Amino acid sequence: MYLAMKERDASGQETGDKWEIQLRKGCLELAILAALWDGKLYGLEILRRLESGSDLIVSEGTVYPLLSRLKALGLVRSEWVESDAGHPRKYYALTPAGKQRVREMAGMWARFSGSMSKLLAPLARGE
Amino acid sequence: MATDVQQRIEAYLSRLRGRLRGVNGEEVREIVEELRSHIMDKAAASGAVTAAGVDAALAALGSPEELASQYMTDNLLARAEVSRSPLQILKSLFRWASLSVAGFFVLLGSIVGYFFGVVLMLVAVAKLFHPRTAGLWTYRDSTGDLELSFRLGFGSVPGVGKDVLGWWIVPIGWLLGCALVMLTTHIAVWFVRQYRRSLVLP
Repeated sequence: MYLAMKERDASGQETGDKWEIQLRKGCLELAILAALWDGKLYGLEILRRLESGSDLIVSEGTVYPLLSRLKALGLVRSEWVESDAGHPRKYYALTPAGKQRVREMAGMWARFSGSMSKLLAPLARGE
Repeated sequence: MATDVQQRIEAYLSRLRGRLRGVNGEEVREIVEELRSHIMDKAAASGAVTAAGVDAALAALGSPEELASQYMTDNLLARAEVSRSPLQILKSLFRWASLSVAGFFVLLGSIVGYFFGVVLMLVAVAKLFHPRTAGLWTYRDSTGDLELSFRLGFGSVPGVGKDVLGWWIVPIGWLLGCALVMLTTHIAVWFVRQYRRSLVLP
């Protein structure tokens, strides 16, 4: 009970921040799958692509467990490849199911952001 | 590479390994090797591997405990969510129960649900082989209270007591048993989903 109240207080104060965190979190899976669309990448390359291609602030400690989850769900597969750096790297690539999933998610995203933009149009016109 | 840098990486990875309880050995090796490779790449990004570079790479990953718990809950509960197999769900719930009190209660409830579901189905099957003794029986015990008892049909025909449902136990046992197993699965998966949603990943 005490915990529940504490949480409510915290969310009350930080509604804006929490919302942004949830939004980013919700998009992370799509962002990772989309980063793999052009071909296989290893973990750090995925991280760099997310950082450079978007303003998604990504925690490294989140991406690796998420990749492992996507693999468990059969959306990506992985392979170890020897590198010049002296250690092997684990590369990820989309499976056919992953390709289908990312296409579906991109479609949902487009519809969703389209209708949100329509709703938000009055704000852009100013008061 | 300097040994103290190497040691720092190994200390981090062994703490992580220790926390990945219940994850199978092959998976643990994969996770550890992938993170080792990540730390080396990250630390060497600006040329040589330095102690400061390694520290920064480890800090960016977060504590081994936090990282391990994300791997475990993510992996397991994701599997429980897509799987409709009671065995996979119980396996995941066992690991969840080792992490949190909520998980323990969901596990307890699921065991009870599955147990009664399976007993109902077993009685329904047993009736076919032991028509006179299997079924749902009522008795008066020594104090005169009425007792309900599922019998699989082993032993002699009870002297006192009554077979309440007769042959009806076959369809009723099957339907109720299946429904109970499905309902338990449904509820367990619902709890798992709520728990996964409540895990705020940074």
